[in-house]
Amino acid sequence: MPGQSGVRRLSRVELDTALSDLLGDTSNSAQGLLPPEPVNPFDNDYRAQFASAALIESVERLATDAANRALANATLRAALVPCSPKGPGDASCMRTMVQTVGRRVFRRPLTGEEVDRFMALQTFAVEDNNFDTGVRLVLQAMLQHPAFLYRVELGTPLAERPGTFKLSNYEMATRLSFFLWGSTPPDWLLDDAANDKLADAAGIRAAVDQLLADPRAKRRLERFHALWLAYAKLPHPAALTNALQAESAALVDKVLFTDRGDYFELFRSSETYVNSTLAAHYGMLGAPASGSAWLPYGPLPRMGLLSQGAVLSAGAKFSDTSPTQRGIFVRTRLLCQDIAPPPSNANVDEPPTSPSSNCKVDRYSAHASTGNCKSCHQSLDPIGFGLENFDREGKYRAHDDNEPNCPISGDGKITGLPGGELPFRGAVGLANLLTASPEFEQCVVTQLYRFNMGRKEDPADLAFISALTEGFRSQRREFQTLLKDFVSHPTFAYRVEE
Amino acid sequence: MKTLFRLHRRAVLKGLGGAVVGLPLLEAMLDVNPALAQSAAAKRYMVFFDGQSMGADGDTLHNDFVPDTVGPDYDLKSAVAPLGAMKSEVSIISGLRIPTASENGGTVPSGGRRDAFHVSSMSPLLAGVRSPSNTACAGPTSDQVMAALLGKQSLVYRVQADWYLSVAEPAGRDVISFKRDSSNRVVPIISKISPQQEFNALFSQPPSMTDPVAAAKADRERRARASVLDLVKGDTQRLLGKLGAGDRVRMQRHLDEIRALELRIAASGPTQTGICQTPGDPGPDPSSSGNQGTDSSGSNTYNQNLGYSGEEERARHFCDLIHMAMACDLARTASLQMTMFQSHLSMYNLTGQATDCHELGHGGVSGGTMAVSKGIAWHVKHFTYLLQKFKDTPEGNGNMLDNMAIVYALEGGHGHDPGGAKDNSSHSTENMAMMLAGRAGGLKPGQHVVAQGKHPANVLVTAMKAVGYASDTLGEVSGDISQLRG
Repeated sequence: MPGQSGVRRLSRVELDTALSDLLGDTSNSAQGLLPPEPVNPFDNDYRAQFASAALIESVERLATDAANRALANATLRAALVPCSPKGPGDASCMRTMVQTVGRRVFRRPLTGEEVDRFMALQTFAVEDNNFDTGVRLVLQAMLQHPAFLYRVELGTPLAERPGTFKLSNYEMATRLSFFLWGSTPPDWLLDDAANDKLADAAGIRAAVDQLLADPRAKRRLERFHALWLAYAKLPHPAALTNALQAESAALVDKVLFTDRGDYFELFRSSETYVNSTLAAHYGMLGAPASGSAWLPYGPLPRMGLLSQGAVLSAGAKFSDTSPTQRGIFVRTRLLCQDIAPPPSNANVDEPPTSPSSNCKVDRYSAHASTGNCKSCHQSLDPIGFGLENFDREGKYRAHDDNEPNCPISGDGKITGLPGGELPFRGAVGLANLLTASPEFEQCVVTQLYRFNMGRKEDPADLAFISALTEGFRSQRREFQTLLKDFVSHPTFAYRVEE
Repeated sequence: MKTLFRLHRRAVLKGLGGAVVGLPLLEAMLDVNPALAQSAAAKRYMVFFDGQSMGADGDTLHNDFVPDTVGPDYDLKSAVAPLGAMKSEVSIISGLRIPTASENGGTVPSGGRRDAFHVSSMSPLLAGVRSPSNTACAGPTSDQVMAALLGKQSLVYRVQADWYLSVAEPAGRDVISFKRDSSNRVVPIISKISPQQEFNALFSQPPSMTDPVAAAKADRERRARASVLDLVKGDTQRLLGKLGAGDRVRMQRHLDEIRALELRIAASGPTQTGICQTPGDPGPDPSSSGNQGTDSSGSNTYNQNLGYSGEEERARHFCDLIHMAMACDLARTASLQMTMFQSHLSMYNLTGQATDCHELGHGGVSGGTMAVSKGIAWHVKHFTYLLQKFKDTPEGNGNMLDNMAIVYALEGGHGHDPGGAKDNSSHSTENMAMMLAGRAGGLKPGQHVVAQGKHPANVLVTAMKAVGYASDTLGEVSGDISQLRG
């Protein structure tokens, strides 16, 4: 059963990447000008998007600035205007420009009427006695046009299933490039669409191979993991933040693009990519004096992404780690479970206290044993306590911060999975437990689904997600194969309107 | 006056949103007779918001804000000390409270809030209406009700540039302004945070020029911009017809905002005469420094500029823009959110306190309520700066304040916290206080009024009525505070 999809605005990061690919504009100005989108955990949920005055005004500014920048640079301008105008009113040259640039910006050929409407802007070029004035205005209009700002999927209605549409080849090209690059389709992919090469699974898989061979695919999948696992922004000084994010990105690249083996290596890797600062942070020996290198963890209680500082930074609260927030992180991000919000009379703004002990484990257990806090906290806090040996930067610690008399056992447990109450110790224990769990496997695929479709799954999508998960498992969890299976699945070529 | 009266009725309908009204967005608001607008100074309305409570947890001192003396020439406590001589233009209203669910058998009462604090005061405080959730506002806020009535633009600015916590999102704490959209839903208005963009939007219109070449160029640029927007608007309209129901709602919103921008452009173009002068260009926006946290030694990083993005400069620039946009009659309503609800803005660069605004209330630094008051005083400093600009700008026989009502509101008060079942808590909407500046409609500023048991929305209604609001009710709260009119 195909999934619902609606008009979906490009995120600020997608806009910046698209402007770079379309116009050579590397200013990243959408991230500076446009209001931030809601992040939960991805930044592209179209059901949470809405237009505001702030958006419309900043988009106009973005389009105007980008058009000016493109025309101010002779090389960039030459790429936009593929002909030599014979004068400010050269309609033939302008029409060629509108058609070629329009196809790239709108990700489909323009209709004759659309071209004519853009051509009308050439009167200002004539008035100004400057051909480029027309080019500038056309660009300005295209870059704030809904056909650029939104991924609009219309398709062809299926007579036998009202409300369901078969995507056009161009709409499929757009889905592929935004999924795998977070950007607009390149000319060759639009040509594939024009030549009907995306109409079957083999053609789509060939296009995916070509997209995945480009560095933009690496950046896109690094970003998927950074948003999913909450390290796209970190609350640390720049040097540490950069080192931690580079460490995690390196492991993602290695597993997905270099080794191309079992995806779960991401959570089981026995080595990590660190510079000298980060090696000292983790207490590892043998780091190079400059640059970064892969170093084995050796006897350190670390393994894979969950033991990296970037991921362990998630869920800090009250100037410390929060076992509750880490429990929520594991349940929502790694197991795709929903956690009910605290009751309306809960005080979630102060750390729990205990009358008899300063130790965190006692303070939290006092909290989790009372009243209506009990049921939720008993399912959350023990997960976080299994990770308590790692502070909110991912450094190892043996006791609570500033409390030498409060040793940390690192013992945690998780309930609600098959097998009842499962004990674990530390990030290694949690990774072992998760990578043996079908729930985690399904959640990886579910998060990818949310990221690709720009929304949380509906009940009607579960069969598709389960089928993808089955394929993932049976093909030794090779991630690029999962990506290909996803987009070449027959239902992916259809949409249900909202 | 007939034109204006007709506008009122239509705009009030829209603002209160009792029914779906098919008027295109903003057209009613901008339908003001220009001759009339010039003959009498426009009335103006503003909300200035401070996202913190008034006292610290466990401190028996509820605030250092409310004067000891009642009536005129009140004494200045530390939280409002920056007012200085400006106190003669500002009334302080104390004794306010928002009722809670716990005092109503667990159900949120009319004009009340949920027991859990942080953001639950938003809907009653700013719109006078109870909300089904902590972070949603269930009715249009006072500034938007007045925007529909007074016309011109409504400025919605936020000084705190970012949320400054890495894992969570602001989730509604970054908004203080809500309106009804064309499908009659109450929707948030995304605040603008870039003084540079706003300067360009408000004042980039070239002044009337004597050089014919420059004038022709400016005229062409203006017409070209209008043609570009018209093309985009037309194609958006055409697209609507091809979309399913859900997409149509989303795209209609986009179209409404394009249309609103067109109307704003058509209505702007300040005359460079008298009190209206293009202000100085604020220059590039203060850079964003990222989230607060700890450094590698475990110390907090407030003193490393994290959790701070030039809010001192941003506040100054936005005050300058609001002042001049109103002096030029480009805007008649404004809401300035200095800090978000539950603000995590670092106070280090602002007050020297090595903590964030929210933690001031929870003992982040020593000093209890007096430490909280230092944080409030930073907000009041900018409030005073803005009032001084209005006061220094002559209008009619007096100054701009004569035609204004400006409300200063805080997220909470101090006292009983129904969520945590504690007293002397910052999670309280007991013992709230507000400020009201301006002399429009017979307001008599410069006094301390004890309005024991009154609702903050009663202050809003008083301010709104002073600038032309015909009703006695905002949301679910009725009545004004007559002493504020002397």
